Amino acid sequence: MGAGAQSGRQLRVLAAEDEVVVTHEDVDRAHDRARVTAARGGRGLRGRAWLLWLLIGPGILVMLGENDGPSMLSYAATGAKFGIGFFLPFVVLTFGMALVVQEMTVRLGAATHRGHAELIFERFGPFWGWFSMIDLGIGNFLTLITEFIAIRAGLGFFGVPPWAAVLVALAVLFSALLSHRYWTWERAVLAAAAFNLIFVPVALMAHPHWGAVGHAFITWKPLPGFNRDTVLIVLSDIGATVTPWMLFFQQSATVDKGLTTKDIRFGRIDTVLGAGLAAAAAVGAILATAPLFGRISAENFEAAQFAQALVPLIGRFGASLFALGMVEAGIVAAITISTSSAYAFGEVTQRPHSLNLPMTEGKSFYAVLGLCAVAAAGIVVIPGLPLVFVVLVVNVVAVLAMPPALVFLYMLVNDREIMGDLVSPLWASILSKGIVIVLTATGVLYGVSIIAPNIFAALGGK
Amino acid sequence: MESGNPHGVSRDDQNVVLSSLEPDQLVEAKKRHIPRRRFKDSELVLLWGLRVYLLFMLAVVAYQVWTAAR
Repeated sequence: MGAGAQSGRQLRVLAAEDEVVVTHEDVDRAHDRARVTAARGGRGLRGRAWLLWLLIGPGILVMLGENDGPSMLSYAATGAKFGIGFFLPFVVLTFGMALVVQEMTVRLGAATHRGHAELIFERFGPFWGWFSMIDLGIGNFLTLITEFIAIRAGLGFFGVPPWAAVLVALAVLFSALLSHRYWTWERAVLAAAAFNLIFVPVALMAHPHWGAVGHAFITWKPLPGFNRDTVLIVLSDIGATVTPWMLFFQQSATVDKGLTTKDIRFGRIDTVLGAGLAAAAAVGAILATAPLFGRISAENFEAAQFAQALVPLIGRFGASLFALGMVEAGIVAAITISTSSAYAFGEVTQRPHSLNLPMTEGKSFYAVLGLCAVAAAGIVVIPGLPLVFVVLVVNVVAVLAMPPALVFLYMLVNDREIMGDLVSPLWASILSKGIVIVLTATGVLYGVSIIAPNIFAALGGK
Repeated sequence: MESGNPHGVSRDDQNVVLSSLEPDQLVEAKKRHIPRRRFKDSELVLLWGLRVYLLFMLAVVAYQVWTAAR
């Protein structure tokens, strides 16, 4: 294990006397690491900034990647349905939850140099490993479908037909893979992900009432009514920030990037930066659609309809930016989610799995990545399919699948045999247990709202 | 400069790898297995409980979709 795994030395997997077999994947990663080693010698602010630039990536990508099609739709629906109030600070809080959870994957990846799926299979065995994989596989595929729905709807605002919209998205996804280098892929996707912040200027165009915004952040008011719609939006907004694919993606990307225990501090900064940027975009989406509060019904609204409804309020240009934001959200998430599926597949089947692999050495990795994306894109262009239901439930399913995934994460990150001194401190363990309880309780509340809605009515809701 | 490495990696690149990567980061190192962990009874109860919770809740989601589709 890594240098920080002091008491896990018995697990060290490569003895000094072993013959060293070096692959192209190792060489590419080593060149990236050599630049990091050289940058460590840099002094002053410029030197630290250069080192940070080299080490950021997985955290920002995972957070902006999770600001995906259904997430941005969820935030847009939140703004349109509830206006400025409780949900503004609530959404920021959910990014705090995501931060606590994702930081653990940085430590796990840096300390063990193993992906999340691989660790679950190795430490807990294939029985529990396959359960975990089934949860991930179903969740990822449903979410991928919704990414292409968002792309289709966003480009539909500009009159692009569905088949052309998904082809554009697939072309971008495959273009990012052409270099066969993790570093180049990461930088290309980071550049695309930065476009997620387009929701901030869109929010400014909506001229939000800053007094009300400040009041909402301080008091968490006005509170929404206690009813089934509120529970669904709460669940949907949580599912928009914490989902199982994020755990698998960030840990695998941390390993693929080659981060070590020396880089954990920068991995944390990367994750905090990602959470901050993603929270800004999420709040932007809520503020952008808040003027629609009381004017429209946000039931089952798709991206293009939100953009259309915003035209009278923020103009055609602002609405176009909103629609483009949805397209970007869908494309970046389609890239990161299909990559997370490919990483997990390679890890459990022990086939090569890295974005540093040449096509000839990583056929199964690239095949899984491409097939997931193509299959999801294909479903979206089938006429007459009730796609809106997928959008409706995908964030809910993500929240429901999170507690089992978090328990595995909690057990791994507190496993002294593989983590050594890098196990979670007490405060982080308490926080992660609290998150599992909150997520489970929210899921139960949702179940009650569906099975026994009369209880909500009795409590004063609808 | 070629080495006897089966992947045809040059000696210079091998040197970069050996100086820049930790031994456990090598692809070859990851083929070694990590020992299996034994679950405590309480952990097994928790894992099975969450599995049942997830299956039940997914049934609830399916029910919601079905009622919405009617």
